[in-house]
Parts: sequence; structure tokens; C-alpha cells
Amino acid sequence: MEHINTYIGLVPLFPLIGALVLGLMHMLTCKTDKYPDKLYGIIACIGPILAFCVSLILFFKLRGMPADSRYLIHDVFTWFAVGDLHVTMGFLADPLSSLMILFVTFIGSLIHIYSAGYMAGEENFGKYFAYLNLFLGSMLILVLGSGPVVMFVGWEGVGLCSYLLISFYCKDTDNVLAGNKAFIVNRIGDLGFVLGMSFLFWAIGSGGFDYHSLRENAHHLAPSVGLIVCLLLFVGACGKSAQIPLFVWLPDAMAGPTPVSALIHAATMVTAGVYMVARFSFIYAHVPTAGTIIAWVGILTALLAAFFGMFQKDIKKILAYSTVSQLGYMFAAVGITAYSAGIFHVFTHAFFKALLFLGAGSVIYALHHQQDVWKMGGLKEKMPTTYKTMMIGALALAGCPLFSGFFSKDEILFSALATGHTGIWAIGVLVAGMTAYYTFRMIFLVFHGKPRDQKAFDHAHEPPAVMTVPLIILAIGAAFAGVLNLPSLFGGSLAVSHWLAPSLVEHHPHVSVWIEITAILASVIAFAIGITIAYKKFADGAVEPEFSGFAKWGANKFYIDELYNCVIVQPYKTTGSLISAFIEPKVTDLPIKFFTWLYKKLGASFKVFQVGYVRVYAIYMVIGLSLMSLFLSQTIN
Amino acid sequence: MKLLVPFLKKTIRKGALDIMVAEWLFTAFSIVAVLGSAGLVLSRHPMNGAMSLIITIISLAGLYALLSAKLIFALQLIVYAGAIMSLMLFIIMFLNIQIKDLPEEKGRFLYLIGGAVLISPFAAFLIKVVKTLPESQTTIIGNGFGGVNEVGLVLFQEWLLPFEIISILLLVALLGAVVLAGKRRLK
Amino acid sequence: MIQDYLILSIILFCIGMLGVISRRNVFTVFMSIELMLNAANLAFVTFARLHESMDGHVLAMMVMAVAAAEAALVLAVIILINKHKGKLDTNIFSLLKG
Repeated sequence: MEHINTYIGLVPLFPLIGALVLGLMHMLTCKTDKYPDKLYGIIACIGPILAFCVSLILFFKLRGMPADSRYLIHDVFTWFAVGDLHVTMGFLADPLSSLMILFVTFIGSLIHIYSAGYMAGEENFGKYFAYLNLFLGSMLILVLGSGPVVMFVGWEGVGLCSYLLISFYCKDTDNVLAGNKAFIVNRIGDLGFVLGMSFLFWAIGSGGFDYHSLRENAHHLAPSVGLIVCLLLFVGACGKSAQIPLFVWLPDAMAGPTPVSALIHAATMVTAGVYMVARFSFIYAHVPTAGTIIAWVGILTALLAAFFGMFQKDIKKILAYSTVSQLGYMFAAVGITAYSAGIFHVFTHAFFKALLFLGAGSVIYALHHQQDVWKMGGLKEKMPTTYKTMMIGALALAGCPLFSGFFSKDEILFSALATGHTGIWAIGVLVAGMTAYYTFRMIFLVFHGKPRDQKAFDHAHEPPAVMTVPLIILAIGAAFAGVLNLPSLFGGSLAVSHWLAPSLVEHHPHVSVWIEITAILASVIAFAIGITIAYKKFADGAVEPEFSGFAKWGANKFYIDELYNCVIVQPYKTTGSLISAFIEPKVTDLPIKFFTWLYKKLGASFKVFQVGYVRVYAIYMVIGLSLMSLFLSQTIN
Repeated sequence: MKLLVPFLKKTIRKGALDIMVAEWLFTAFSIVAVLGSAGLVLSRHPMNGAMSLIITIISLAGLYALLSAKLIFALQLIVYAGAIMSLMLFIIMFLNIQIKDLPEEKGRFLYLIGGAVLISPFAAFLIKVVKTLPESQTTIIGNGFGGVNEVGLVLFQEWLLPFEIISILLLVALLGAVVLAGKRRLK
Repeated sequence: MIQDYLILSIILFCIGMLGVISRRNVFTVFMSIELMLNAANLAFVTFARLHESMDGHVLAMMVMAVAAAEAALVLAVIILINKHKGKLDTNIFSLLKG
């Protein structure tokens, strides 16, 4: 009984109530007199902050329990029960989900606070915050759900909210198209997720369809079915977490407001895929083939996205590709069964990516919605706080030693090397160098050198405190979050890994310390090379280059959007128009049209009897009566 | 008629009526009733039709008396012949119907013959059914059968609810008639 | 004798029906319906006599009440028809024509 806890549900409930209240307030007042923006901002921040407080309570409650039975569960109600399928609307807090909700609510709260400053004066302020709260609530349902079906509720919820928020500036068609793209690509992934879920139920679901029962029954899963389930679920993860081949929506998702990008990239949505794989580690750990595929897809995504990131000129797109790249790392980690390393990278990544996006948001805010890095420069003096915090974020992202990103990324690369995935490790090191290059390319272009657009530069200013304070808090997190999982080489004890261990199924290989040192050295060297090249090329007044050859390919993202358009979208459209032009009218509609014609003719021929005089209808009745009498009088002697 | 009714009453009070007399009366009444109804169907002007119907109704009242239904006999005369038919006559006269107002109905007799042909199987069937019933005499029963007291007891004991419902029906009909025929307020 | 009463009832009923289906005068049609009700009444009373039970009498009374209600309504309708169309022909209404 001690594991039953009735207030887990409050964590997603607070933001959802906030969404409801804000939505109603907005709907009721948007036409007439509006409430002041501050009121919306304050109400919007209450939900996430309360959720964070409850998450903290839950976290400490879990810490107080013995390590091998750390979980809290609350079954709110039976959602539906059909045959063997008993789905409970329940919430589960265990080390994995409690860590997730902790940083999701923490970073979510900071982003809400920042948004109150960033979005000030925008139209539909209330709607924005309603969506934002709903987004956070959905993500918390996803994380806290006690079974795959509840997770799917949140899974769809974040998909919906991402659509709503990406196309928030819906007066511009491009933004709406970007929203559509995100939604449709996510649907493809969701199909995989649903199929995977169904297969899982078919295989081992009869003993109960929540994580506890599934984990107990996981060893009944046949390897072939397990592989199918794993790959189908991974298709879902690909859609949500933007992996090859479904990554195309994430860069376009930059159409939304910058804090939304921060929320999507740091706290919610894209990390859902990694979380899901880690959540199902009890299945993935049994199917090494699936793990290898996931790891290779992940690391290739990382490589590809890093390529693209090197040639972008939109500050938000650089960050978007860096996210895709980092997500690739995370999938590589969970693919090689280093789940805790992957989740830890999710954790640190949340801090520095939120920081970088919010910093980029400050820059964009200061330059009045200028996003082209080639029109920035020299902002170091004008925006010192933003510069310093973003620098910390960039160092963390690039994997500078002692910053958080370094430890988490190193953990992944070390795991790859230790489990013998040398290829993945080598690509990972290469990507680490590229990450350092493109990150500092951005930093140098934005903050160093001379201003390229003097007029914009003159108007630039540090944003208000409501925006800089979240930056500073995040910068502290980005700098020191890595300490939580210090490997023993640096005198730590892998605290996060040990914390997560009960929720995951993983084995830590015991290898010599030299391999660890090799991995670290390689990462550091890659980082140093990357940052040096970036410094040489961009630190002092570079001009926008004309891309040619390979670089042009990179800048145009290998024409992947165009390729998808040609290979999938256009044939689909052609087939559709063919069906609507030929098959529907000529093949399927023709028999139906014939029958409607027949009925019409029949009806017209019976029409002559309908003369309209009531007397005549009475005559018909009498005729019927007489016929019946004639027939019945046969029966009477 | 006026002579017939006291005569009938006297004979009923006496408690016995010769069967021959009863048969003779039945034949007379039924011929009058059929003739009256034929007059209703055949006559062109509704006033003539209404008069024929009254004849039928009164002869039916006589038949009710032969069937020992004293209350129904009285009601037939008072309610049907007295109230309903006089209302009808009143309306016919109120509308002041001229012969030119009436529908042409040139093929009326053709219609009637055709209709009769149509209906005859139905009538034949019903008569065939009736023929299967057991035959019985209809001597007058004197022990209060069909009197006001006895029918009233049955009505208010076993048929109370239908009786009340009928009263509501009459009320509704009253309202309906007022609404339909009443003056429309100018819009 | 009972059969004769019933046959008379049937004949009157069929004559009423004939009037309904073959005449166009509204009054005649209405009075034919009254005739049919009377024929039914005769059957009720006859059966009451046959079974020596007075339920048939009660039913006949109710039929009379219905006939009275019907008369009130139908006459109101006839007045309206006459007022609006100036005719007493059932054929002026053919709204059900297909």
C-alpha cells in the first residue's frame, strides 16, 4: 500500500487546469475587452511551478524509499476493459519518470517565465500560454503514464500542441505549412507506435497492459515478435524525436515562437522518443538487433544533422540541427543499451539547449526578429548577459571539458567504445568535432567581430530581467548539471545512473580505465579541433560565403525535402488525382449511379398513382381491403 | 314514429313482445334505414342527404329498442338525432349552400357503381363471417338490461378511465373547434 | 335474428364507405362517416344483446361522444374551407400530389 500515492496525478493536472482556465479566459474575452497580458503570464506560470513543486516532493519521497522498490503508483480509474485489454488511467512515478518530470517541469517553468517577457505585446497572448500549458501537461502525462496507452495519450497531446504552436503565427502560410509538416510526419511515426503497441499487446498484453506487468512478462516475448515491436515503436520514436528518415519536420518547426522551440527541443516532445525507448528498455535489452539498428540510425542522424548545421545561416535552424544531432547521440546511446547515458544526455541537453534557444530568442528579440547570423555580429558588448550565458550553453553543447554536455556525451561515446561499437564511436567523435565547429561558428558570428548590420546593432539592447533571469538559472544548470553523474575517473559515483538503475535494464561493462581515457581524449581533441577551425574562420569578421559543391549540398540539406517531395508527396498526389479523375467516377460510382437512376425511374412510374385527392387514397384502401377479403373468404367455409 | 315509441315502451313494460311483431318491426326499420342511407349517398344537395341520415338514425334508434338497449335508444334520439344532426343542419343552412356551389360530380353514378363493385367482396366476406355466428333470438329482456341504472353502473365502475379520457377528448375538440372557426386576429 | 341485425350493420357500413369513396361533396362525405359510425354502433349493441352484457352499450356511448367531437371539428373545418375557397369540393385539395 505504501506505493499508492494519490497526488502523482496533480503533476500533469496543474498545467492542464492552467490551459483550461487560460483558454476559457482567452475565448471569452478575445473579442471584447482583453485581460492584461501580465495576468495571463502569471496564471500560466502557476501551473508549471506547482507541478515542479509536486515533482520535487515525489522525488524526495522516492529517495526515501529502499532502492530496489522505488515506485509510486496511482490508478485513477479504469479507462476501458475489452476482453483481455484492461487499460487503467494511471500514473507511475519511478526513478526514470521522476527524473524526467523534475527537469521537464523545471525547464518548462523557466520557459513560461521567459515567454511572458518574449511574447509581451503579441496578439493572442492568452492562446499562446494556453497551448504552452497544454503542451507541458501532455508531456507530463506521457512521462507519468503507467502504461503504453496512457503514454500514447500524452504522445498525441504533444503532437497536437506542437502543431498548434508551430503554426502559432497562423497568418503566414509558411508557418501553417510547417505546422502541417510536423503534424503529418508525426502521424507517420504515430502509426508505427500504435502498431508496435498492438503487437506488444497481442504478444504479451494479456497479463496486464502496464509497465509492471509488461516487464514481468517480457521474457515471454519471442525474439522475432520482439524485433517487430521494437522497430515499430522506434518508428514512433523517429517521428517524435526527429530521426532519419522523419527528421524533416524539426528544422521547419522553427516557424513557431522561439520559446516554443526551446520547449519542443529541451523539455518536451523530442525527448519523448528517447524516453520511450528507455521506458521499454526491458524489451529492447532482449533484442540486440533492434538496438544496433537504432544506434546506427541515431549516429547517422547525428552525422547528417551536424553536416546540415554547419552550413545554415538561420540561428534557430543551426540550433534545430544541433538538436537533431544530439538526439542522434541519445538514440545511439539507448541503442547500445546505455540507457542511463542516453537519459542523462537528455537531462543535460535540456538545460543547455533551452539555454541556447532562449539566448537565441533574446538575440532575435533584441534585433527585432532578425534571425540571419550573417546579419549579426559584435553583440558581445551590447548584450553581455546573453553572451555569457549563451557561451556557457555553447561550451556545454560542444562538449567542453567540465561542462555538463561533456560528461553526458563522453558517457555515450565511452559506452560505445566499451561495448565494442567502434564505428559508432568513431562517427560520434567526428560529430563531436563538427558540433564544436558549428556551435562556435554561430557564437562567433553573432557575438564577435564587427556588426554587419549597423542599424540593427544600434537598436540592440539587453532584454528585460524576466528573460535574463531564466537564462542565468539555465546557465548554472548547463554548467554544473554534469556533476550529478561524474564518472569514477573524475572522483564521482555515477549518481544519476545509479538512481535510474531500477527503472532500466542495462549492464555496465567493466573495462579498463584506459579505454575511458582514450574516449575522453578523443572527445577533447575533437572539440579542440572544431573550435579552433571555427575561431580561425569566423572569429574576426567573416563574410557570408557563396556555397559551392559539397557545401552547397549541405546548405540545401542534401535536397532531402525535395527528394521526399518527389518520391512520396508528388506520386501520392498523382495517385489521388488519378483516383478522383478516373476510378471514382468511372469504376466505383457507376453501379451506384445506375441504381439511383433505376430508383428514380421506378419512383417516377409510381408517381401517376399519387393523384393527391384523399378520396382516391381511400379507394386504394378499399381495393386493398377487397383483395384481402377475397383472399380471406377462401378460408371460411 | 311518435305513435310507435309509446307503443314499444308499453310492450316492453309488459315484459313480452310477440316474436312475429318483432320481426315485422325489424324488417320495417331496416328497410327504412337502408333507404335513408341510400338517399344520403345518392342525393346531390347535402340538405337532402342530412334529412335522409336523420331517417336512418331514427330507425336505428328503433332497432336499439328492439335490442333492449333502452339508454342507447334514448341517447340515439337525443344526442344523435337531436344534437349532432341539428348542428349539421344548422351549419348547412348557415352556409346558405346554393346548387351552383356544389361540386359538379357528373360521373357520380358511375363512381357509385364502381365503388359498389369494389366494396362488394368486402361486404360478402363480412356477411360470410357473420353467418358462422350462432343464431339466437332477440326477445326483449325486461329485467333492467340496458337501463340507465345498469349501464351507468357499468360505465362508472368498469369504464371509468375511458370515460374520463373521452371527456378530455370532448374538451380538446371543443377548443379545437373554437380555434379553427373563431375569428383570426389581424396580423 | 342476430345475424340479420349484423347483416344490416354491414350493409349500412358498406353504404357509408361507398359514400366516402365516391362522393366529392364535403358534407356528404362527412355524413357518410357518421353513417359508418352508426353501423358500428348497431353492431356493438347487437353483440351486447347477444352476450347479454352491457359493455357494448358503453362503447356505443363512447362512439357517440367521439362522433360529437368529430362533428364539432369537421364542421369548423368545413366552415373554414368554405370561407377560403368558396367551394365544398374535396377535389380542391390535392397537396399530396406526387
